[in-house]
Amino acid sequence: MAHRKARERDMLDSVYSMLALVFILVACVELCDAATVVDVYRLIQYDISGVPFGSRLASLNHHAGSLHFSPGADLSRTVVMIPVRELNISFVTEYVSRKHPLGGMLFLLPEIFRLENGGGGKDVREKEVVKNVLLELEKLLVHAKLPYPVYFAFENDEIDAVLDDVKKNDATGQPATATTGGYKLVIPIAEPKKVASPTITNIQGWLQGLKADGDANQLPTIAIVASYDTFGAAPALSVGSDSNGSGVVALLEVARLFSLLYSNPKTRGRYNILFGLTSGGPYNYNGTHKWLRSFDQRLRESIDYAICLNSVGSWNNELWIHVSKPPENAYIKQIFEGFTNVAEELGFKVGLKHKKINISNPRVAWEHEQFSRLRVTAATLSELSAAPELLESTGGLLDSRHFVDETSFIRSVQLVAESLARHIYGYQGKNIQIFADNSSLAVNPSYIRSWLDLLSQTPRVAPFISKNDPFIMALKKELADHTDEVIMQHEVLDGMFTFYDSTKASLNIYQVASVTFDLLLLLVLGSYLIVLFSFLVITTRGLDDLISLFRRPPSRKVKTA
Amino acid sequence: MTVFHFFNCAILTFGPHAVYYSATPLSEYDTLGTSVKAALVYLGTALVKLVCLATFLKVSETDNFDPYQELLKALIGFIDVAGLYFALTQLTHRNISQNHKFQAVGLGWAFADSVLHRLAPLWVGARGLEFTWDYLLQGLEANANLVLSISLAALGSLMWLRKNKPKTLIPIIYACAGIVATMPSITSYLRRGLGWQFPKVVGFELFTSLVMAFISWQLFSACQRPSA
Repeated sequence: MAHRKARERDMLDSVYSMLALVFILVACVELCDAATVVDVYRLIQYDISGVPFGSRLASLNHHAGSLHFSPGADLSRTVVMIPVRELNISFVTEYVSRKHPLGGMLFLLPEIFRLENGGGGKDVREKEVVKNVLLELEKLLVHAKLPYPVYFAFENDEIDAVLDDVKKNDATGQPATATTGGYKLVIPIAEPKKVASPTITNIQGWLQGLKADGDANQLPTIAIVASYDTFGAAPALSVGSDSNGSGVVALLEVARLFSLLYSNPKTRGRYNILFGLTSGGPYNYNGTHKWLRSFDQRLRESIDYAICLNSVGSWNNELWIHVSKPPENAYIKQIFEGFTNVAEELGFKVGLKHKKINISNPRVAWEHEQFSRLRVTAATLSELSAAPELLESTGGLLDSRHFVDETSFIRSVQLVAESLARHIYGYQGKNIQIFADNSSLAVNPSYIRSWLDLLSQTPRVAPFISKNDPFIMALKKELADHTDEVIMQHEVLDGMFTFYDSTKASLNIYQVASVTFDLLLLLVLGSYLIVLFSFLVITTRGLDDLISLFRRPPSRKVKTA
Repeated sequence: MTVFHFFNCAILTFGPHAVYYSATPLSEYDTLGTSVKAALVYLGTALVKLVCLATFLKVSETDNFDPYQELLKALIGFIDVAGLYFALTQLTHRNISQNHKFQAVGLGWAFADSVLHRLAPLWVGARGLEFTWDYLLQGLEANANLVLSISLAALGSLMWLRKNKPKTLIPIIYACAGIVATMPSITSYLRRGLGWQFPKVVGFELFTSLVMAFISWQLFSACQRPSA
């Protein structure tokens, strides 16, 4: 008896588990039945001191529309698919500034901008066409508040086909709604949440100089600094190859060259070299500020000068040195002369730009200003001639691998290394090339290329990089290879900026039929079945039977009467 | 897309069976039991076919037409015919006229085929958001299948249940039965070997099913005349 009951219970259990499995299978299959699934990247969502910017929503469930809609159409339940190639910036400007209600925006970027496409000479011309449009678009979107989801996607065959279909439908003048069919774009994603305590990580490396016996004083230090994080309209696509990937790679290459020199005590200079990879660059160089504050007084005083690198990868024939101390200052003159001499030998010009610091203004346009505020002599080497605005030139959609010109970049690295070496070893003004080409100390193009490629495939927006991100670990390891001592400093980003997550999602595109189509189909099928029924009754039982089906009640009355 | 569409496709796939049952004298003579028994026989036949296919057939990576595999599939398809023979002759039916017996068996056979082959894809696929014509075409295929099953059952009953047949018609009966029995192989050849699209194949199936139904109707009435 007990055995049978146990067996029955086992059977029931297995039946229940089978049913559960079937339900799960059914549910799973329901979820992945879209015609097309595309990776999409969301527009950044952030607050500055509580003021909201960017796209405030993430989930999407609306019909697709294109730019060819009839004027005056209601687009509050439509997602407008805009290929950037055909974009008329005035449309977006108008929609954003007039705050028209919109279901969402989906920008389609040409395939050339994909992160995996490392290089392509013939497509660079195509990029020029889109370049200006993208720059303006990015600026507009980053500084606007959009109460609907905005996404970026790359063009591919499937999405192009969908867009063509949508354009055709729109051309007939019928906007896509539930009753007219078309395509439906669905992104099932949770509401975006604030990133709690976004961390910024500064990495510093220290190359010890040669201390002569009996030298009680601390050796002077020269600092080379570059910020490695980026900010752009689509944080999952902000790789910033030039701003500031070029600065990071230049720093690493200089570190490699000097580590070769400093490994031999005979060629070790009498200066310590401090390498700093800072984060928080776009946010008024917050990371540099915190890094400098962590120094003790003696170290800060021992810094002779600091060179900050900011975008040195895509210039033509002139670089700029930006300073905040007046150019008549002796130290500034010395630095500038050193750089100019080397630049002349390499065949290009270096200009000097002076921008006074306003202590009361929280805006920090260049990294050297953070040094200057603590009375450390510093200068920034950059291809930009004017100070960028807040959140400008921080590595956006356009700043991908093609943007960096390797020849000019190698010349920048030579400039920095040579100028520093001549200062350290006391060869100012002398025509001695320490890092000559074809020597063992030459700048290594393949090293540069591989690091530029890596940086061009790693989006580096600081709030979305965790403390132990593999990229930060890679930078740390690389710096540790070239320097004596590496220290990582983890800080929390200043409270002025708040960021929201959900930077990447999957877009499902469904082709839907309208409700009218379903009703029509029901009508057709109903009539088909009725016709079939009548046909069968007539052929098998005869026409009288069919008629009698409708006349039954009256015949009964006749019978009783 | 959505439950509405699922409902539409379901009535297209299964509606004709119900309509056939209620419209013809089958409902008057209460032949439901026969249909149910035929459906069960179809289930058993499908199981046997599955085992044979798994044992003898190679899994092909590509989707083109392999004549040997198709020949094997056709041979295994004749198990269908054996099942139909079993349903028509061996099952004990109540006193139903031969006319209605083959209809009931054919109906039960076609209904079981539709449920087994088309209900699961319909349930899983037609309720999603994405719209495709596939499920409506599948429903039309189910209709063609119903007509084919009934004509096969008619020819089967002619072959095995009717003793006195006019001599001239016997080869025609066997030929038609052969054609109808190998319909699955023919459609798979059209789809894979010639590369026809699904709507074209369904159109072909509908057309041939109507033609075969007409031919078997003529044969049936021709054989009925001597005894009548």
